[in-house]
Amino acid sequence: MNQTGGYAIQTSALTKEYEAGVRAVDSLDLKVESNTVFALLGPNGAGKTTTVSMLTTLLPPTSGTAFVAGSDILEDPAGVRRKIGVTFQETVLDDALTGRQALDHHGQLYGLSRAERRERAGELLGLAELEDAADKQIKKYSGGMKRRLELIRGLMTDPEILFLDEPTLGVDPQNRAKIGDHILGLKQRKGMTVLLTTHDLDEAARLADTVGIVDEGRLVVVGSPADLIAQMGDDTMHVQGNAPSDGFASAAAALDFVTEVAATDSGVQLGVDSGDRRLTEVVRLASESGYPIETISVSKPTLGDVFLKYTGRELRD
Amino acid sequence: MSAALIIWNKQMGKFARNGQESIGSLIQPVLWVVMFGVGMRSLLEPSLGNGDTYVSFMLPGIIALTVLSGATGGGMTWLLERVQGIVKEYIVAPIARISILLGNAASIMTKALIQSVVILVVGVLVGATVSGGVLDWVASLALVLLFGIGFSGIALAAGSSTDDIGVYHMMIALLQLPMLFMSNALYPLDSLPTWLAWVARFNPASYLVDGLRQTILTDALTMAGSELLPLWACFAVCTGFAVAGMVLSLRVFRSSLG
Repeated sequence: MNQTGGYAIQTSALTKEYEAGVRAVDSLDLKVESNTVFALLGPNGAGKTTTVSMLTTLLPPTSGTAFVAGSDILEDPAGVRRKIGVTFQETVLDDALTGRQALDHHGQLYGLSRAERRERAGELLGLAELEDAADKQIKKYSGGMKRRLELIRGLMTDPEILFLDEPTLGVDPQNRAKIGDHILGLKQRKGMTVLLTTHDLDEAARLADTVGIVDEGRLVVVGSPADLIAQMGDDTMHVQGNAPSDGFASAAAALDFVTEVAATDSGVQLGVDSGDRRLTEVVRLASESGYPIETISVSKPTLGDVFLKYTGRELRD
Repeated sequence: MSAALIIWNKQMGKFARNGQESIGSLIQPVLWVVMFGVGMRSLLEPSLGNGDTYVSFMLPGIIALTVLSGATGGGMTWLLERVQGIVKEYIVAPIARISILLGNAASIMTKALIQSVVILVVGVLVGATVSGGVLDWVASLALVLLFGIGFSGIALAAGSSTDDIGVYHMMIALLQLPMLFMSNALYPLDSLPTWLAWVARFNPASYLVDGLRQTILTDALTMAGSELLPLWACFAVCTGFAVAGMVLSLRVFRSSLG
């Protein structure tokens, strides 16, 4: 039917250079299936917001393009805008308005009728537990309330694709959980596609059907959180020594119980079949290959270990 | 409802609810007419006996000043809404960029028109004479609107070109004061030195001012002298100014989107 082959979002070599030679987003090829939650996971400065800005037509790409909801962001940005909802990373509410006015104004911009606007605003304010504050000026809202209001504002127009840039940034844990539940509900009830960005590993693991790890403008790996974690082996071992780790890393790779070896900035990360059972073997191998161990730890693998494996660095805020 | 109208409606709603802003915006032009008009009147009246005529003569200038200040304030609001990200809501909405700017220019101008009415009323109270039929009033309204949209465009362009409030004010001040003082607003064109008269002829404000004198403040014509700018030229220049201002604002806004 269209060039996107059923994907809600498909980018091809999407690139943004803010200054010549410095690529904030570097040849991004991304596919997001309809009716899924896709999380772009990466540290600050990885290019997540720039990617969202290009996909939502806020920012033109330097090269490459993308199809969003069946429309090309370059050829038909208006077509894209009609079908998407966006919540930005920073709070962008006109705080001289009341919550209800902000929703109504937003609905007007998308050509909703007065009856539709009233009905949806009422329903969404209930959903976000903002009925009591609906007719108060937004300047009197708390940070969490503003965030929830922005989230439902993006839903006023019943978009095909909802973009959420760091939806829980600066939100307390209670509101964070509420917002998370809400995002999951959207997919189930409305068949919506959600693309969110986060630097929170747990959030990505909990909410996303698919996680795309981005680092320095590049998409490093894509997969479901479960698959990404499963390929790490049953246990992850973090080995930290005070010598060059190359010899140890290659010796470990030759062992048949080792499924993954990744050199990181703080040592070597191994995926093994059973951490407890293999601990002594790994310690012995390390000392034999001239890599005196300072610390060693065993844990169930997480998305954090996946991130460390692909980028060689830990994901920090 | 078109997007420009929706944005106009939102801005006007905020204006109406913000008592300080709406009352403040009315006090300022009143002060101008009273302080400047009455002062000049008492200076001219004893010697020349035409103090009332001078009040009529300078009212268009005060209207121009009010429009310029209104646009400056509107450009400032636009800059803040851009920096705060409020404008992003419009950029990702399915509406044309130009309607975002037109909606803002229209709300700036609505406020300025309300102020202009107040100026005329206060002007009459301190001695001016207003005149003209329905057509003259419609023409004068159109002139104020066109001129105001033009300068709103410049202010919106300036507010799009920088995120720095100080830089914005410097840019606008470089335009705003010369537009008033290097025009025929406060003194007749034929009393100006030749070079300044030429500068004034290239200044759109002069065309607004002479246009108003020929439509609703005809009392002022005796003072305006022989070098009157023709009414057709007033319309042509104000229309050109409006188009140029909005085109400029659209260009600068577009390029600010990276």
